[in-house]
Amino acid sequence: MSVTALYVHVPFCAQKCRYCDFDSRSFAPCDLDAALDAYFEQLYARLDAFGNAGALAGIRTVYVGGGTPSLAGERLVELARRISRWCKPVEFTCEANPESLTSQLAAALAEVGVTRISLGVQTLDNAELAAIGRIHDADRALAAIATVKAAGIDVSCDLMCGLPGQTAASWERTLDGVLTAAPHHVSVYPLTLEEGTPLYRMACRDESLEPDEDFQAACMDVARNRLGAAGYHPYEVASYALDGHECAHNIAYWTGQGYLGLGRSAAGMLDAGDFARLAGLFCGALARGDAYRVRLVQRDDAATTFDAECLSQREAAAEDLMLACRMTRGVGSDLLVRSANIIPEDELAAACDRAFELGLASWVSDDAKGHAGRVTSKDVIEGRTRARLAPTHLGWLDGNVLFELFWDLA
Amino acid sequence: MYRSGKIVRMNTSIDISHIRNFSIVAHIDHGKSTISDRILELTHTVDERDMESQLLDTMDIERERGITIKSNAVRVSYDADDGETYQFNLIDTPGHVDFTYEVSRSLAACEGAVLVVDATQGVEAQTVSNATLAMNANLDIVPAINKIDLPSAHPDEVKTEIEDDLAIPADDAVCVSGKTGEGIHDLLESIVFLISPPKGDANAPLKALILDSYFDEYRGVVATVRVFDGSIKKGDTLRMMQAEGDFLVDGVGVKRPAETPVDALTVGEVGYVVTGLKDPEAVRVGDTLTWASNPCPEPLPGYREAKPMVYTGLFPIDNKDYENLRDALDKLHVNDPSLVWEPETSVALGFGFRVGFLGLLHMEVVKERLEREFNLDLIATSPSVDYHVYKTDGEMIDVRSPQDLPEATRIERIEEPYLKAKIICPPEYTGAVMQLAIEHRGVTTDMIHLTSKSVEMRFDMPLAELILDFFDQLKSRTKGYASLDYEFNEYRPSELVKLDILLSGDEVDALSFIVHKDKAYGLARGLCDKLKEIIPRQLFEVPIQGAIGNKIIARSTVKARRKDVLAKCYGGDISRKRKLLEKQKEGKKRMKAIGSVEVPQEAFMAILKVDE
Repeated sequence: MSVTALYVHVPFCAQKCRYCDFDSRSFAPCDLDAALDAYFEQLYARLDAFGNAGALAGIRTVYVGGGTPSLAGERLVELARRISRWCKPVEFTCEANPESLTSQLAAALAEVGVTRISLGVQTLDNAELAAIGRIHDADRALAAIATVKAAGIDVSCDLMCGLPGQTAASWERTLDGVLTAAPHHVSVYPLTLEEGTPLYRMACRDESLEPDEDFQAACMDVARNRLGAAGYHPYEVASYALDGHECAHNIAYWTGQGYLGLGRSAAGMLDAGDFARLAGLFCGALARGDAYRVRLVQRDDAATTFDAECLSQREAAAEDLMLACRMTRGVGSDLLVRSANIIPEDELAAACDRAFELGLASWVSDDAKGHAGRVTSKDVIEGRTRARLAPTHLGWLDGNVLFELFWDLA
Repeated sequence: MYRSGKIVRMNTSIDISHIRNFSIVAHIDHGKSTISDRILELTHTVDERDMESQLLDTMDIERERGITIKSNAVRVSYDADDGETYQFNLIDTPGHVDFTYEVSRSLAACEGAVLVVDATQGVEAQTVSNATLAMNANLDIVPAINKIDLPSAHPDEVKTEIEDDLAIPADDAVCVSGKTGEGIHDLLESIVFLISPPKGDANAPLKALILDSYFDEYRGVVATVRVFDGSIKKGDTLRMMQAEGDFLVDGVGVKRPAETPVDALTVGEVGYVVTGLKDPEAVRVGDTLTWASNPCPEPLPGYREAKPMVYTGLFPIDNKDYENLRDALDKLHVNDPSLVWEPETSVALGFGFRVGFLGLLHMEVVKERLEREFNLDLIATSPSVDYHVYKTDGEMIDVRSPQDLPEATRIERIEEPYLKAKIICPPEYTGAVMQLAIEHRGVTTDMIHLTSKSVEMRFDMPLAELILDFFDQLKSRTKGYASLDYEFNEYRPSELVKLDILLSGDEVDALSFIVHKDKAYGLARGLCDKLKEIIPRQLFEVPIQGAIGNKIIARSTVKARRKDVLAKCYGGDISRKRKLLEKQKEGKKRMKAIGSVEVPQEAFMAILKVDE
């Protein structure tokens, strides 16, 4: 069994944020308990089904996301307990929102094997928090960071830039506050307006709410500098970590590892062999004959219907290259050499050269530090030189152009 | 074959005194189409269940845009209250200045016109211009006040307006409702009594006007004709007097509205003639048909060759589509013989064609048809007229594309086509119209008060000024009340220069255009600003420059896009992330990469959107 990552989705929130288009529902408090109970029963059943099929034995990382998993309280602890009956993950992350993360919950989660809490802080400016419909305030967020640290486990903070009313000064203050609280990991996401969200509709009437991309770029730059100076190194488009505190689960996503998805709207990814072994767990999902990789999204609470997307070997290779470009280290020699077995070498070399010409990526030697002298894409692809193609500053902020270059190889 | 004096047998034909040929004219949305439909219904020409609104406009684009591009003629039989049966030929007319000539030919085929006026809106801009066209063609006019079923209808006031504004007696105006059918019977009776029957001599040599033609794969060119003298039947050998060619008639018929063969088309009638000719260009709208063996002495007056006025480059976005574009043009040409083209090569856009059009609307319609019916993605470049360039070596060349203009040092002079333009509008807009004409290098030559509510102004102006946004501007500055007609006058020397546009320092030939030197600076600035709006931000800053020769006269800059990255993590749902990327890419598909700059299609037509 080669699946090493497990994602669990908890699609419940006390209140939906105005920008959010993830699958999550909010309930009146009186109905919430019943809804959570019913949902978690189905999660447990699904977990056991996976476990009995032998799919969980190799799990090394677990990520419980949402929604707001912390809203589930004791149920979340029970879920973690049940997961650890099937596997011994080295990294176990739960997402939490400051208002629902109590010290008791943090301690209980740490007790049952959770190693990491990812907090939806977003900003430390109360007016900005209100504008996006968050129900916590800055003090609550800082307290939550302290709570997690007190429980003896890792804490990560999600931050957002380009929020309504946000200024360069307020962004600096947010970064200051977070750095003082000293989490182990920070993620910085530029706000995007998603169709169908309340914020999108508001922005249709009031243009000033639309995030300014120049401002977001400036915020991302400032964050990179400030976090970098404080010892947080960037390892992915949006992710910064103190040494040794990178999120292994998210790295699995960017490096083409297989993962299982549990819960409504959770996505899983399996290679054709694993899918064939576990097909009984995904009723109705069919793989094409040439499918090399299958991505499955659970459509309902009861796990009776799934969307399946099949990728050919070549599509999977192009996807791996594209995802590698999200990582600060970039596309490594090994991946390039492997890809050349699937994607015609001249096409692969052309994409690398184009990325280089456009200034989106540069060659970095794997051996010595710094730029490799006179590396050619052919030398790397044919295995004569070891170097990785790493995104430049331009390739980081304008990553879509770079991603497109490699996805076009599919 | 000797025919004179013989009486031709006509079982479907009718005495000339029982024929009525007419058009329906109206301001847009006053109900011309619904009234046409009701007439077809009431005369049982079309079953109610077959009714599809706007029966006369057949092309998709015509229906969508609510404009008539090609003329159409439908025959209906009407059993009048006097117990007699009348033959009505309802002739539809195109409604845009690009097709003015076609309108004039359609009206020349009529003796009368039904002028439809909305009972709630009263006389409006095109009511005035269309009524004027009909009166100038000496037609009998039957005013019809439509939409009287609406609560806000005020037919009596509208009658007064018709009399005061148009100087048309409105005592006989018929009140109708195209929606309920009320009054349509009265309208048909009025057509019988108010519109004159055609005049003509059944025994004279054939004289027939070609109103329209289309190409049928099996039957060749089919021409819509109005017979003024004589008759046409299958087997006749006919001569086209202007095009100077003969053909054998394969069949004649009428549209009801489905094509229905008849034995003959006789004097006064309208119908179609199957020519069997395989060359669409052989048959020209406005030409006169006569018998080859016994021709009439003079053709009908007013013939004008449909000459292209505007030339634009049409390039496939994907160069692989070049051959498909050529095939598509060939096919379209079959029912639009006014279309002409020649190959053109652009450094920026690759292989394409320089295509001649009657006007900008014609160009838009053709481009839309090419894209829709032949599934092509096209770039159209700035429109140009046909310039006469006299080189220092004495040679004169036709320049229809800015990139064909020789170097300035090799040009002795450039001449451009001038028009005689005629604008009719209410007196309160004469100031605005004159101002507009001056802005477009026009000179007023005459001004005549036609009625208390309409003034005719005549201008001398360059065609190049008219082909850009003149017509739209005219409509907007006169709130739609002005009508425009024009004809070619002469070529005159003019101080013209070529304005080039540079993107990221490289000249983009497809963005160049020829402009009067006094307007070059303003246009260059306007164009640089407009292109800045149109060209999306990209990886690098894109400087835009306007230049004449080596001299930069305007500039603007598209700033670099500083951030373009999907950063959000969707719990491992990579497919979703990829789909967002693909969606973004889809948008880029309709852009053309010029060097490293992605340029949207509309950039090449930006000149039309520049506000000076």
